[in-house]
Amino acid sequence: MSVADRVPVPDATLPLAGLAVAVACWWAVTVAFAIPPFLLPSPAAVLARLVGNPELYLTHAVETLRKILVGGAAGVTAGFTLAVVVVAVPLLRRALYPYLVAARVLPKIAVAPVFLIYFGVGFETAVLFVALVVFFPVVVGTAAGLSRTPDAHLDLLRSVDADPLRTFLSVRLPHALPDVFAGLKQSVTLSVVGAVVAEWVLSNDGLGALILAASENVQVDVMLAALAVLLPIGLGLYGGVLLCQRAVTWG
Amino acid sequence: MIHAEDLSVSYDDLDALADVDLDVDEGEFVTVVGPSGCGKTTLLRTIGGLEEPTTGTVTVDGDPPDVAQSAARLGFVFQDHTLLPWKSAVENVTFLRRMAGKDPDPAGARDLLTTTGLDGFEDARPSELSGGMKQRVAIARAVHLGADVLLMDEPFGELDEITRDEMGVEILRLWRRNRKTVVFVTHSVPEAVFLGDRCLVVAAEGDADPAANGSPGRIVAEFDIDLSRPRDESVLGSEAFGAQVARVRGALHGDT
Repeated sequence: MSVADRVPVPDATLPLAGLAVAVACWWAVTVAFAIPPFLLPSPAAVLARLVGNPELYLTHAVETLRKILVGGAAGVTAGFTLAVVVVAVPLLRRALYPYLVAARVLPKIAVAPVFLIYFGVGFETAVLFVALVVFFPVVVGTAAGLSRTPDAHLDLLRSVDADPLRTFLSVRLPHALPDVFAGLKQSVTLSVVGAVVAEWVLSNDGLGALILAASENVQVDVMLAALAVLLPIGLGLYGGVLLCQRAVTWG
Repeated sequence: MIHAEDLSVSYDDLDALADVDLDVDEGEFVTVVGPSGCGKTTLLRTIGGLEEPTTGTVTVDGDPPDVAQSAARLGFVFQDHTLLPWKSAVENVTFLRRMAGKDPDPAGARDLLTTTGLDGFEDARPSELSGGMKQRVAIARAVHLGADVLLMDEPFGELDEITRDEMGVEILRLWRRNRKTVVFVTHSVPEAVFLGDRCLVVAAEGDADPAANGSPGRIVAEFDIDLSRPRDESVLGSEAFGAQVARVRGALHGDT
């Protein structure tokens, strides 16, 4: 059964109409009240920026995406690995897990200036920051999921002396997937935020840096154009995780 | 086939089971009946190597339980069906055999499901099966594993009474065909009498609630069930059956 069979395609007509109306209102307001472009440019002006210099936006978008993907992969890998270790070693679990949960409350953004001092400006520092932001929801989600295997299922496997790796792959991991993906979905959203913040504080390129520079020069049209590029990146990544989830999970 | 000597099991501050001596012959169907929390599940789990004896020994066909586990000679059926929700019925049946490292036999698994009344449901997910069907799959899984000994822990405990009776007949049919050694734990006296060659009564002496004062469960009585086989539902209404149930009930309530 494919995804298309199960999930009815939502009717996009109304949401698209809503978007069209919103853009039209925005346009009408800028024209009707003759709002100066440095306060609020018209949609046409923003579009003109994008079309006028596509390379600029594309280059920065690629930089931002690189940080998200490299940092995201590192953060997810580290988070997943730690979760497996923490669940496998009860002592570690008791010692660390409360802090891993509590660390989610800490605004990671506040850590960026600390990274600046320790690691300086650069791609690696930005990647490290994205990884940090992505890390926590993955650890907590994965650890929670891996602990969710019913005891009776583990008893069953013990009763045939199944080896731990097979038990992990065939029973524990599938039981954990819904929670793993809940963590991943939080992470993917945070990864975009993390990349933009990293580009404000820890890096000089990418859409975040472009937005910051445009802000200093009061180029609202450039800022909006950059946002317009950032939005589909975030949505695309989230959609990608969602598709993965549909492909591998059950129920 | 199963031999236990001077067996006792204690947890931190709770004595679950004490002074158990037990022999189960090959191909014998032994039922263990007792009130909740009396230690009967602990007895089953200890035979199956899921709990460690505190004193005494258990062997299955001469080997300690962990050896029997490695050889896939023990087929557990729990009260909870423990089917994997993301696998179909037939995949659930083959799964445990695979985990035990034995050669896969999907055709055999399908045949088994057909003979256990799941014809046409081989590819259904557990969520599409009724409670009775799920337990049938769980039983088929234990048989397909190739275990010599079936250890059943209140497998019909969550089923309605009508389904329970049907499942009882079904398990006897399966047992007749496969001649496994069965230890079957239940809190239903009629079920214990209907199924067993022999019925062991486990109770914590002197108290109805062993968890409260830590009094361990013991085998307080043992009955040979002399009802002719093969048995079907008609046995349930017979006088001999009623008398046998009454005797076991009597033992449970302390007047042996």
